[in-house]
Amino acid sequence: MSTTTLPAALDRGESPTRRAIRRFLRHRLAVFGLVVIVLFVLAAACAPLLAPADPLATSWSAIRKAPSAAHWFGTDENGRDVLSRVLYGARASLLAGVVSVLVALLIGVPVGLLAGLAGGWTDTVISRVADAMLSVPFLILAIALAAFLGPALENAMLAIAITASPVFVRLTRGMAMEAKATDWVEAARALGNPPWRLGLLHVLPNIVPPLLVQATLSIAEAIIAEASLSFLGLGQQPPAPSWGSMLNSAQRFLTQAPWLAIFPGLAIFLVVLAFNLVGDGLRDALDPRSDRR
Amino acid sequence: MTTLLELDDVARHFPVRDALGRARGAVRAVDGVSLSVAKGSVLAIVGESGCGKSTLGRLALRLIEPDRGAVRFMGEDLRGLSPRALRARRRDMQLIFQDPFASLDPRMTVEDAIAEPLKLHYVVPRGAERTRVHQLLERVGLRPEAARRWPHEFSGGQRQRIAIARALASGPKLVIGDEPVSALDVSVQAQVVNLLQDLIRELGLTFVLISHDLGVVRHIADRVAVMYLGRIVEEGPAAAVFAAPRHPYTRALLAAVPGTGAKAAPIEGDPPSPIAPPPGCRFHTRCPFAEAVCREQAPDLTGADHRAACHLQDRLPPPPVLRERVAGGERLRRLQAHFGAPAGVPDRVGAAPQGAAP
Repeated sequence: MSTTTLPAALDRGESPTRRAIRRFLRHRLAVFGLVVIVLFVLAAACAPLLAPADPLATSWSAIRKAPSAAHWFGTDENGRDVLSRVLYGARASLLAGVVSVLVALLIGVPVGLLAGLAGGWTDTVISRVADAMLSVPFLILAIALAAFLGPALENAMLAIAITASPVFVRLTRGMAMEAKATDWVEAARALGNPPWRLGLLHVLPNIVPPLLVQATLSIAEAIIAEASLSFLGLGQQPPAPSWGSMLNSAQRFLTQAPWLAIFPGLAIFLVVLAFNLVGDGLRDALDPRSDRR
Repeated sequence: MTTLLELDDVARHFPVRDALGRARGAVRAVDGVSLSVAKGSVLAIVGESGCGKSTLGRLALRLIEPDRGAVRFMGEDLRGLSPRALRARRRDMQLIFQDPFASLDPRMTVEDAIAEPLKLHYVVPRGAERTRVHQLLERVGLRPEAARRWPHEFSGGQRQRIAIARALASGPKLVIGDEPVSALDVSVQAQVVNLLQDLIRELGLTFVLISHDLGVVRHIADRVAVMYLGRIVEEGPAAAVFAAPRHPYTRALLAAVPGTGAKAAPIEGDPPSPIAPPPGCRFHTRCPFAEAVCREQAPDLTGADHRAACHLQDRLPPPPVLRERVAGGERLRRLQAHFGAPAGVPDRVGAAPQGAAP
């Protein structure tokens, strides 16, 4: 009988996740971005092995030396090796980017799900608070929070996480409301699913793709925010290296020793670009409307 | 006969708000409906789009809360149940949706989808779900291997079979089908109607079919209720309603089925707005027989077994004789003869071994 024949080529079904991965790998720029991110993560993880010198060791005989065979990226005003500091600085930047976005997801997604699924007063209160936070420019709020919490990398990360969370609240809320109106969620309700199962097993898995895209783009933003806070002295504290604080001290020598600014600046640029490319690639790969395989 | 489902003066209005969120009236989707469905019978609810049939189906399952009225299932008012007790009750009442492309969670495999009600209601011992899922798939005419696949790999008809298997998994007593075949291709419609009919007979299901397709209704319904603008205008045994419709609206619906050769004046225009339904009989604005009383007084459903809500039901001219009472039924029978198995033989020829009971 005709309805019992299944697509012959497929022995085992292809899951939506598998299909998204396959489509992502077709996206050249996104794969390039992913490679860059992986390289930076490896560099940060293996910094002790890769760095030619101690990032904190000063040397009075090598102050503001231009890039050379001994110091590929040159040395800074205290005679520290810039390459080593960029490598160790990757730890602060990537950690700040990833951890703050994870914390923002941890705050934003449950709150957004609650607002979207519960509706009514819960939704009104949560949405107004999120709106109020979104009405303040991202960096200004992060600076205010970081200044309030005190200058430290951990506090900067927390400040960035709190500042980034309303975006996830809004996104999750909107998609949860959309999912709540679908037939399959109503079907799940009709089967006797309790509210927590509806939220966690039926709504959440279906809104993961846009959240993943937003999270990737937010990591890029968080890395810039961490660099900015460190630049202002609110993030990573000297002498520990961070791309932002390196730029801060480099600005005084911009004409005499441009390599002090160029290398950390280039690192920020590359990592942020890479995360944005991956985010765009994910968006295309996960978009249910683009049906090309 | 025992009554399984009973609706008593059930109503649901949806508020209409303006841009500032102020209430500007209400859509009276369902406005005082009383119905009872006998155990083991098939009731069809028919009517044109927007008449409130789907809302009525969801009210009957308390997926939507009624504004007033009682919904009694197995003698128990569903409105009195706690959320927890209601969820447990859902084992006995299930819904089949119109659009099989929307009703299956795209991120769940077929096995997970069908096993979900089994797990929620502990229908089978833990670990035995897979076997039961395979049995259910075979019963609806799919191969057990389908369990490992994802909804997007199936056609509309196959998806609807999966949705039917899911609805039957918990062993419900009552199943409501909300236009279960109208989103499918015509040839597939006949197969799925056959399947539903076999399942109803075999499992002794009580079935409420919500449909606008009178051909399908004629084919499987024991009783028919005709809805217009949120109210029931006629209700009775299917044979009687089709042979001798007592409400002008029912007549018009039957006459509108193509191929009947009916010369009855078709009703014109769109139904009035359910936000401001006309006073008196709601159908008077489109009724060719309307009199003064129809504009002033809303008629009640009157009659014994075959009821109609029409002031003039005893004075209407005899209905025009239709060539084939409902051509859709004839067309469906021909299609079934062509595509499907003869009645009584399960609809899964060459698909699965015999004897797999759901």
